[in-house]
Amino acid sequence: MKTFKGGIHPPEEKQLVKDNPIVDFPLSSRYHVLVQQHLGAPAKPVVKAGDEVRKGQVLSEPLGFVSVPVHAPTSGRVKEIGRIVHPVTGLLAPCVVIDADGRDEWAEGLPMERDPFAMSRDELLDAIKTAGVVGMGGATFPTHVKLSPPKDKTIDTFIVNGAECEPYLSSDHRLMLEQPERVLKGAGVVMKILGLDRATIAIEANKPDAIKLMREKAPAEIQVEALKVKYPQGAEKQLINALTGREVPSGGLPMDVGAVVQNAGTCAAVWDACARGIPLIERITSVTGRGIVQPKNIRVRVGTLLREVIEFSGGLNGAAKIIFGGPMMGIAQFTQDIAIMKGTSGVLVLREEDTNITDYSACISCGRCVEACPMGLIPSTLSKLGEKGMWQKAKENNLLDCVECGSCTYVSPANRPIVHFVKHLKALSRAASAKK
Amino acid sequence: MISSILLLGGIGFLAALILGISAVTFAVKMDPREKAVLDQLPGANCGACGFAGCAAFAHEITVNPEAEMACPAVNEEALQAMSEILGRSLGGSAPLIACIRCKGSPAETTNRYGYVGPRDCRAAQIVAGGSKGCQYGCLGLGTCEEVCPFGAIIMGEDGLPHVIESLCTGCGKCVSACPRGIIQLIPRTGNYIVGCISRDTAKEMKPLCKVGCIKCGICADVCPFDAITVSKTTSAVIDQDKCRRCGLCVSACPTGVISALRVPQKARIIAEKCKGCSICEQVCPAEAISGKVKEPYFVNEGKCIGCGLCIEKCPSDAIERIIS
Repeated sequence: MKTFKGGIHPPEEKQLVKDNPIVDFPLSSRYHVLVQQHLGAPAKPVVKAGDEVRKGQVLSEPLGFVSVPVHAPTSGRVKEIGRIVHPVTGLLAPCVVIDADGRDEWAEGLPMERDPFAMSRDELLDAIKTAGVVGMGGATFPTHVKLSPPKDKTIDTFIVNGAECEPYLSSDHRLMLEQPERVLKGAGVVMKILGLDRATIAIEANKPDAIKLMREKAPAEIQVEALKVKYPQGAEKQLINALTGREVPSGGLPMDVGAVVQNAGTCAAVWDACARGIPLIERITSVTGRGIVQPKNIRVRVGTLLREVIEFSGGLNGAAKIIFGGPMMGIAQFTQDIAIMKGTSGVLVLREEDTNITDYSACISCGRCVEACPMGLIPSTLSKLGEKGMWQKAKENNLLDCVECGSCTYVSPANRPIVHFVKHLKALSRAASAKK
Repeated sequence: MISSILLLGGIGFLAALILGISAVTFAVKMDPREKAVLDQLPGANCGACGFAGCAAFAHEITVNPEAEMACPAVNEEALQAMSEILGRSLGGSAPLIACIRCKGSPAETTNRYGYVGPRDCRAAQIVAGGSKGCQYGCLGLGTCEEVCPFGAIIMGEDGLPHVIESLCTGCGKCVSACPRGIIQLIPRTGNYIVGCISRDTAKEMKPLCKVGCIKCGICADVCPFDAITVSKTTSAVIDQDKCRRCGLCVSACPTGVISALRVPQKARIIAEKCKGCSICEQVCPAEAISGKVKEPYFVNEGKCIGCGLCIEKCPSDAIERIIS
């Protein structure tokens, strides 16, 4: 079975939620839609307090090419342009607060019916940008940018990422099982945009039902590939390496080796955007972990408060840590008053015994992190340089190639927070170059 | 025996010859003043001047007659000596001192979450913007102490950094290292600082910190010299040029967030020198000086705010500063 070099085998823990069908999260009375839900240039709110909005209406205007708008998740009235804690930065960030009117009415002309295969490449890209589609695996990079590679890069490989290698999470799994058409048709649209006649759907072997279903439903030009169960199998560069044997050069992007990777959830959102004009206002999220009473897969609207999601899932049970995303790369949260974002692939609630909140000690140079690193780096060196804040030296040790997957931190017997050190060094390096 | 002495001696002589020739041919010509200037510099290579180290800076000011004095860490004496060596006046900036603008020790503040990770404030800041409830307050992991090249900052038992006045050179390393921006350089002549930079309103601050600036504005009201500005969203700021170190703000502040770097001072009239002109009585903003014309005046220490206006105005130099 295809895979990459390095990586780790954390307990999968998918059994908690993988067999639970997707349930619709009921309409809330109030939504907090963060204006910045993507990676890149900021966006500016275009509504003001008191405005009536309809479901799918544009709330913000992107400032720049690498930027996308956000949309109203339901119909109602804008209460205010308030501030709420941003799940990624932990700081207060602007959000549009919408009081729902309960009618849940679509904006004019939505949803529409059109044939994406009759549209031109530029029309499709515009539809994707207008719908605010971003990478839904968690990185939230604007999809239209990823699908517009510069002219000098030839793209010959398109991979639909259904690996879902993060432990606990099952949102992509459920999506592929319950709505395979959306994923496959979205992949078809992406193939048209990229001018390709074939694609690969990559799924980890721990989802045999999804692999079987996809093989049945997929048209001849889309191949379904089962991958070895290993973390981080779903990381872009590792996925490309496993399937094509190509290695993204240091400091490069997947397009440098002619590859484009899109998450399965993103493909589904692309289909909605292109075929029906529906903006990205809801997503599938796994609410899971042993700290939650009823783990669920929910179809939840962007802007729903975490507090409501937890209540809907039966409340907390001895919770010690709440994470947006998976246990490996997700971001721990300190409050329940935060909103679900476009990139929230999971809400993971861990109990004390599922976490490891112990202090770290000196590196014993055992080399286990070196074995685990899927990027072929020497994490132990980076962690030691991190303690000293020596970012120049760390850059010589390929600091910027680290994908922050957390494999090194997971295996470190000294509990060394290596990813944290790397993030620290990257921040120091960024601050130094900003000064220049 | 003789042959080995001759052989070794010969090799030694040959080597000495090569060394001697290369010492002359490859000699690096260095201005002797450069060495003398370097001796006057602190030698901590802190980089505050913008050069790679003390030697690089010494070279720059020696060879470039236009170069300005950029080392903030030299004292008055060394500056004088360097001016003499270089034969031109090096107008140094007013000497500075670092001050910590946060008084929120762990005992007085709340946390948003428990932090486990690298013991570096800059690393802690990456995790959701720091664990402290107040997003402006000191994270207390001692990065300023770590980066100070002069050992002038120590982490106190209260979990906050403290500047040792005699060691601080005002190089500003700590200022750029602090992710919260709570360290500020003020003129050494300054004395009072507001230990808070929070932009939170009093209501927002209440659950987070007991000792922060609540923006009540009492300090600005009591200041006789208009040296303090405060608004609803900015903590009080003392204009060190206008401040006359009277300390009225310290006693008026309800949360005790204003404090002194040094002890308060008072004025005292030297009776033998006083001619009884009454100028001091007229300029005193605190009505602390009284007396009869043409007789020595005296200061009521209880009322004196130590602003020093009288000292400046006295035509016969009859007033001195004392530490109360």
